[in-house]
Amino acid sequence: MIAFTVIGGYLGAGKTTLLNHFLTQSSGRRFGVLINDFGAINIDAELIASRGETTITLTNGCICCSLADGFLNAVDQLLALETPPEHIVVEASGVAEVNQLAQYGHLPGLFLDGVLVVVDVETLLEKVNDRYVGQTVRRQINSADLVILNKVDLIDPSVLKACFEWLKQAHPKVRVVSSVRCELPLPVLAGQPMHERRSEFLFPEHAHYTSWNHVLNDPVTREQLEFFAEGLDATVIRAKGTSGGPSGSGLQLQVVGRRVQITSMNNVGLGTRLVAIGLAGQIDTRSLDALAAQSFGGAR
Amino acid sequence: MITIFRARTIITMNPSNPCGTHVAVRDGMILGVGTYDEVKGWGEHVIDETFSDYVIVPGFVEGHAHVMAGGMLQRPYVGFFDRPLPDGQMARGIKSYAALITRLREIDAALTDSDEQLIAEGFDPIYFPDQPRLNRHHLDQVSTTRPIFIHHANGHLATANTAMLKLNNITKDLQIEGLARDAAGEIDGELREPPAMSLCRSAFREIQRSNMTELAIQNFAALARNAGITTCTDLGGISILAPNALERWRALTIDESFPLRVAQYNLPAMPGATADFESIAKEFVKLKKSGSERLRFLGVKFVLDGSIQGFTALLNQPGYFSGEDHGQLLAVPDQLVDWMLPFHRAGLSIHMHCNGNRTQDLAIETIEALLKIAPHPDHRHTITHAQLTTQAQLRKMAKLGLCANFFTNHLWYWGDQHYEITVGPERANALEPCASALREGVSFSFHSDAGVTPLGPLHTMWCAVNRVTPKGRVLGPLERITPAQALKAATIDAAYQLHLDHEVGSLEAGKQADFAVLHDDPLAVEPMVIRDIKVWGTVLGGRVFKAA
Repeated sequence: MIAFTVIGGYLGAGKTTLLNHFLTQSSGRRFGVLINDFGAINIDAELIASRGETTITLTNGCICCSLADGFLNAVDQLLALETPPEHIVVEASGVAEVNQLAQYGHLPGLFLDGVLVVVDVETLLEKVNDRYVGQTVRRQINSADLVILNKVDLIDPSVLKACFEWLKQAHPKVRVVSSVRCELPLPVLAGQPMHERRSEFLFPEHAHYTSWNHVLNDPVTREQLEFFAEGLDATVIRAKGTSGGPSGSGLQLQVVGRRVQITSMNNVGLGTRLVAIGLAGQIDTRSLDALAAQSFGGAR
Repeated sequence: MITIFRARTIITMNPSNPCGTHVAVRDGMILGVGTYDEVKGWGEHVIDETFSDYVIVPGFVEGHAHVMAGGMLQRPYVGFFDRPLPDGQMARGIKSYAALITRLREIDAALTDSDEQLIAEGFDPIYFPDQPRLNRHHLDQVSTTRPIFIHHANGHLATANTAMLKLNNITKDLQIEGLARDAAGEIDGELREPPAMSLCRSAFREIQRSNMTELAIQNFAALARNAGITTCTDLGGISILAPNALERWRALTIDESFPLRVAQYNLPAMPGATADFESIAKEFVKLKKSGSERLRFLGVKFVLDGSIQGFTALLNQPGYFSGEDHGQLLAVPDQLVDWMLPFHRAGLSIHMHCNGNRTQDLAIETIEALLKIAPHPDHRHTITHAQLTTQAQLRKMAKLGLCANFFTNHLWYWGDQHYEITVGPERANALEPCASALREGVSFSFHSDAGVTPLGPLHTMWCAVNRVTPKGRVLGPLERITPAQALKAATIDAAYQLHLDHEVGSLEAGKQADFAVLHDDPLAVEPMVIRDIKVWGTVLGGRVFKAA
């Protein structure tokens, strides 16, 4: 399965910064990038291997530069490459309906790994009330799995607080993280397929994020996973998990923000493994233990 | 060689010489219009009596159409209203699902290749409010084996039959939102918005391919000729963006038998492209200089919002009358001045698609900003569609020298829906405010937005003059204009908008011999029958083209 990420947000919020961050940070992953906008493509120069007529070859993937024949056609072209990308990232235009772009993440062979909406904390409260783009920015935030409140180093703490409060009040279900230059650890931005490497379960040490792990010796049911996922609160930014029986077939759980996806998959190790990532100081590991116990009957 | 065409009446739209019976033409240029005695002195001539029973008016100028109008009619048409075809036949409107199924069965029976997909155009669910949504089961009554795709008139929806869904592997497991479902969770065949529609790859590709062919262009020109149009925009063309498109256009229009002058207003770029608007504007200027008799590159088009009937136009308060507001800008307001400035500075004309009046505020503000940065006294930048233009906007547009290109055909095709559903009575009565534009001094023309509605200047004029809806309402009688005012908008004022009024749009000495030849005088007939006047054909640069 190829991961599919949509990066949205209004002009100047930091979408391209986030895209560059994505591309530079991920070691070994091959990207396909689609930029659904006009204007210059500002990919970091060191990432660019060569420029062609309709594609830019990156050191770790490629950018398809023509959406003239439609978005699906561009996705099809990426999938038809000799070595298709492992992760497709879409940078949307500043006024794009990100939810519509996200639908392409449900194509066969793809899974929607997340809709990331970047917000410039300096202008958020102005833009959401703007007569031209207010509705669009609100719709973007509402469609986000994760809102990245960017440029927090540039503002007064009271403004940041006001932004958080506005978001909490206007979009109570949305997950929010703050950032400087979109510098967020990759596991916050993207979920990895769990079968890749067991070590990816381990969340790297990070000053601002804490992870929670949970292991069960036995497989659990889809209903139990659903119950668990629905019970996660807004302090959990991402969660993932696998659950497999003796035959090797089992289930995969992906949670990013509000989005929960449970899919069947093969070659899952026996037992159930879960990890959740949240903001340090906010994520409550005890209540996650309790939720797991409630969901899975406490067996460890 | 001089030809003097005699006509029953010649209406020139030249205020200092408004009518005549004879027009003298040499090498495609008008020498003079008047009586025979007034024009015979130009020298040795032949008298052409072909039009002696007909009325000559300036060849119509259509300010907003798309070559797609010709492309889509390569496929069967199943819209609610009658639609003229390139060969002069009329496709009859489909008024019920039963009629739709019957029509599709006929088309199915006529196809010889059993695998060929059937793609039909123009269906619009807005005219069937009392019916359940069209779904695959309706279309399965036509065929369970032939893939069928019904492309809706609004461009945002389609309906596929079961065979089409199967051909493209569209199953109920797909979690794409635009796949409409029945109560049991099965896909019902309605596909909403591009992510879902494009899943019917086979149909989607065929539509994209065929809209760009030579035949599409020839159909487009034939439709225009049949309607009396001699100059027609392809507004939002991608001639210089799509591969080989420019060569295709040039090869066709270089031929003297091509019956139309095409005015291209290209989009600045396609999404995804590395677009440097400075260099694109330079490219457009080069193209403008390379223009030929029948192919001009006059400016640039920016699409700024959606449509009113699709609830995607951005409206000022109090917003939509009913239905959910999906108002959406298609350009980033903070970038608009930067995007447009290179074109404005280069002296290219800018046409801005605005259906909502809030979008129109943005367009007006943007042009005001451009004019402060780079004064351009004769820009003639145009707001196209401009359907909900307010009085305040007209006053401001007059000050800034902005033109309006009203979508008067909406008064007929969607007038009742605007009154009942989208914007409510007051604003429906103020749609396409031609009389107010005249009063406030805003130069305007009309358009069909073909293929959204058919090419037909007599119809767009008829709408502006009568403002009648299919249910018999007169929408805003105070905004009606006279037939003479309407003819002006459809000829010389449309030419003015395109900066072509010194060449076409009226019949004057030194201008192109471009005529629309009509069976009757649009200024003399009962206003309600203006749209029924038959078009004999056109004359383009002195060359006669008979309508099919």
